[in-house]
Amino acid sequence: MKQRVLACTVVLVLAVLTLGTGARGAGAPVKNPDTFVTLRFGDPESLDPAYAYDTASAEIIYPNVYETLITFDGSVLSRYVPLLATQVPSLQNGLVSKDGLTYTFPIRKGVKFHDGSTMTPEDVRYSMLRFMLQDRDGGPSWLLLTPLTGKDSTRAGDGKFQVTYQDVAKAVTVQGDNVVFHLAHPYGAFLSIIAGFSFVMPKAWAASHGDWDGSPTTWQRYNNPKLQDRYAFDHMDGTGPFKLQTWDRQAKQVILVRSDNYWRKPARLARVVIRTVQEFGTRRLQLQQGDADLIDVNRPEQSQVQGMAGVTIHDDLPQLVLQALHFNFKIDATGNPDVGSGKLDGNGIPPDFFSDVHVRRAFAYAFDYGTFIRDAYRGKAVQPNGPIIQGLLGYDPSAPRYTFDRNKAIAEFKEAWGGKVWDTGFKFTLTYNTGNTVRQIGAQILKDVVESLNPKFKLDIRNMQWSQFLQTTNAHKGTLYALGWAVDYPDPDDFAQPFLASNGDYPKRNSYHNAEADRLVREGATTVDPAKRAAIYKQLTRIAYQDVPQLYVAQPVGFVVMRSWVHGWYYNPVFGGANYYPLYKE
Amino acid sequence: MIAFIVRRLLLLPLVALGVTALIFALLQFLTPAMRASLYITDPKQLNALPDIIRKYHLDQPVYVQYGDWLRQVLHGDLGWSETAREPVADAIRGFFPATLELAMYAFLCILALGIWLGTASAVNKDKLIDHLSRVTSISGASLPTFVWALLLLMVFYGHFGWFPPGRLSLDADLYVRSGKFHVYTGLMTVDALLNGQGWIFWDAVRHLVLPVATLTYYLVAVLVRITRSSMLETLRADYVRTAQAKGLPRRIVVDRHARRNALIPVITLASLLFIGLLSGVVITESVFNYPGIGRWGVGASQQLDIPAVTGFALIFAGLLVLGNLCADVLYAVVDPRIRLQ
Repeated sequence: MKQRVLACTVVLVLAVLTLGTGARGAGAPVKNPDTFVTLRFGDPESLDPAYAYDTASAEIIYPNVYETLITFDGSVLSRYVPLLATQVPSLQNGLVSKDGLTYTFPIRKGVKFHDGSTMTPEDVRYSMLRFMLQDRDGGPSWLLLTPLTGKDSTRAGDGKFQVTYQDVAKAVTVQGDNVVFHLAHPYGAFLSIIAGFSFVMPKAWAASHGDWDGSPTTWQRYNNPKLQDRYAFDHMDGTGPFKLQTWDRQAKQVILVRSDNYWRKPARLARVVIRTVQEFGTRRLQLQQGDADLIDVNRPEQSQVQGMAGVTIHDDLPQLVLQALHFNFKIDATGNPDVGSGKLDGNGIPPDFFSDVHVRRAFAYAFDYGTFIRDAYRGKAVQPNGPIIQGLLGYDPSAPRYTFDRNKAIAEFKEAWGGKVWDTGFKFTLTYNTGNTVRQIGAQILKDVVESLNPKFKLDIRNMQWSQFLQTTNAHKGTLYALGWAVDYPDPDDFAQPFLASNGDYPKRNSYHNAEADRLVREGATTVDPAKRAAIYKQLTRIAYQDVPQLYVAQPVGFVVMRSWVHGWYYNPVFGGANYYPLYKE
Repeated sequence: MIAFIVRRLLLLPLVALGVTALIFALLQFLTPAMRASLYITDPKQLNALPDIIRKYHLDQPVYVQYGDWLRQVLHGDLGWSETAREPVADAIRGFFPATLELAMYAFLCILALGIWLGTASAVNKDKLIDHLSRVTSISGASLPTFVWALLLLMVFYGHFGWFPPGRLSLDADLYVRSGKFHVYTGLMTVDALLNGQGWIFWDAVRHLVLPVATLTYYLVAVLVRITRSSMLETLRADYVRTAQAKGLPRRIVVDRHARRNALIPVITLASLLFIGLLSGVVITESVFNYPGIGRWGVGASQQLDIPAVTGFALIFAGLLVLGNLCADVLYAVVDPRIRLQ
């Protein structure tokens, strides 16, 4: 009797637990139809649009919570449609001056922020000024500073301010219902930058929460903030189709909910959940079960989702992405476990280890590019010859590139640091971001080759949570690390400046400086004639080959994996992730 | 017995002090700059490491440093965790209830299943159930936790869709965050019942099934073996034979006479099992994406997040000390000889 009761209980419990469950194949009913679940392996660094400069943060910020004055016309990067402005400036409609120095944006009326306040042209101006003046190291401020002030940072190389409040104040003005941008020099890609980086937040909201209040005298106090200094780090107040409900850093989850006061028709999705799940196996199973609608898949894992019922893979997506390995010329060794002993004694590396070009060239020859592209990308990538990649003005297919050559690698190592590197050996840790199996494979390939050249060479590999990885490398603590670059706007300046200019994202992290490169990057940004620009970027490619500040290891094509019940999705290489506004599940 | 318990409780601070000394000694292998992060409670301080080294005497003799560090720990300041982006103490407070819930259910399952299977094995020595329990438990102990966890996940979630990873399903998670749900204990199953939300209770149970099964399968083997041997020994004892000779039913002899004495080594083992459980949750939480202290600990150790790892070690060491104390007390309860010594 007792056994029967027990058996019945077990059956009952199982029946209750399994009610309504089962695998979700093709044609299965849509799970959570008004909620979209995205699983990523990287976590956002910041939700502040003037601070964030990575794909995981960008997916939340734009175009889902914050909006820009104009945006791209779907997938087409050369066409724009108005968003918070009512028209796209052009020579034809007279909103771009004939000299190409003035762009006028009529600001849309009646647009509400998520806090209920109404957007004004002054909010737009404030947001642009805040974006430029906040200017954190390795941040996005250069994108507006360069065309509007002619300088790519508010600070010079010695840390002193080189941009004044007046410089930016006169560059962005309010004229009635219009916001007018006054460029320092004609810049063909300006609309493209505005389409991607003119986020608007309410001035009153920011100021009331301890942010800069727009005063000409106080902005320097808000310049170059640390990660969590600003209220906007984990709070959002935009005009977009979704508003932030919560960013739970313990659960590693962001929840966006539909803004019912959105100035356009409200989104079809009621909410978007963006969760960090570092284990690919778990992400895959959740996609298979329909508990996730879109997941991060690295190319080596693609075969595990190929042919999965109810799942669609959008493959061969053209993208302007460059994967690279970065040398830090001046490592901050303070409390840094990745430099070992901190000396060239066989158990570590000194902070300036990579400042010797022979060391960098040795690594460049020691990387097996062909194997990497075959194993990590299943062949769906090409080897770049510099930061100016295929598809950009100034790409030079005839420029030299490093090839895998063990003998040349040995020869360079023997020359490095007067032969001491070869005699004493070294040990350090190469880092990449957790969950990125492509970079893991690249790191492993390099490790295998380098350690086989000399038994005294030791190269460890360590993965780091995305947000912490960005913070660490930005704090000059990276040694040799794997990190890529995705296009902000389709112009060679967006690759030349971040990779080769002293104030660029990577040179700043890695203390790389080349005065000629700085001059050429500046010249490339201010030159209008495409032929002359192309020549400049070809020269920069040669400098990159000579100096080897990075190893340019792959330019891949992209792919995105999602449930087949997702509709309305389109690919835009500038967005950090998906535009959730047009999406629906059916 | 009270005197025994009091004596054990009096020893507790000494043991705890020993644990902190051990952890602090291990920290001495790190550079002062790396140890300085233990004293940071605000990210703005990250750029002032030299000042912190001076302030907390990290370049001073070890006993001075230990005193400073211990004072800080006693005030609940465990440093700033870069991986959690909050103070370590806050992170532990946030992650711990989920782990406690998982460990609690797993521990109960291990005890219940281990004792039941061990007893059944001994009573039915060399019969089918004995062979089956031995094969099953040994295979559980032999298979790495992550393999077993992945297998369970693939079959019961990937194939059948029954038991999902994580802590709650989307609907339940949204409800818990909606403001209509009051968090009393942080234990989702308990809070769901206290809120009168039966569906959230079942949802939490569905999410606990696979991690609990993984831990149980992994750890039950030792308990089965010990219970079986102990029961076999007890069943051969004179007093058990006498009880049987008196004509008592077999069930009563086994349940009331034999098992109670056979449980003494099992109780000792329970504290060891607790240790195994704590190491088991680290892997299990990672595979099942279960937001507990184990998953956070794995991430923190990979990122070399020293304050987080130290806090993690302190909390686990504390739990072990408490587990041992519980075992000692229980030992005294079931075996009167202990009290006399």
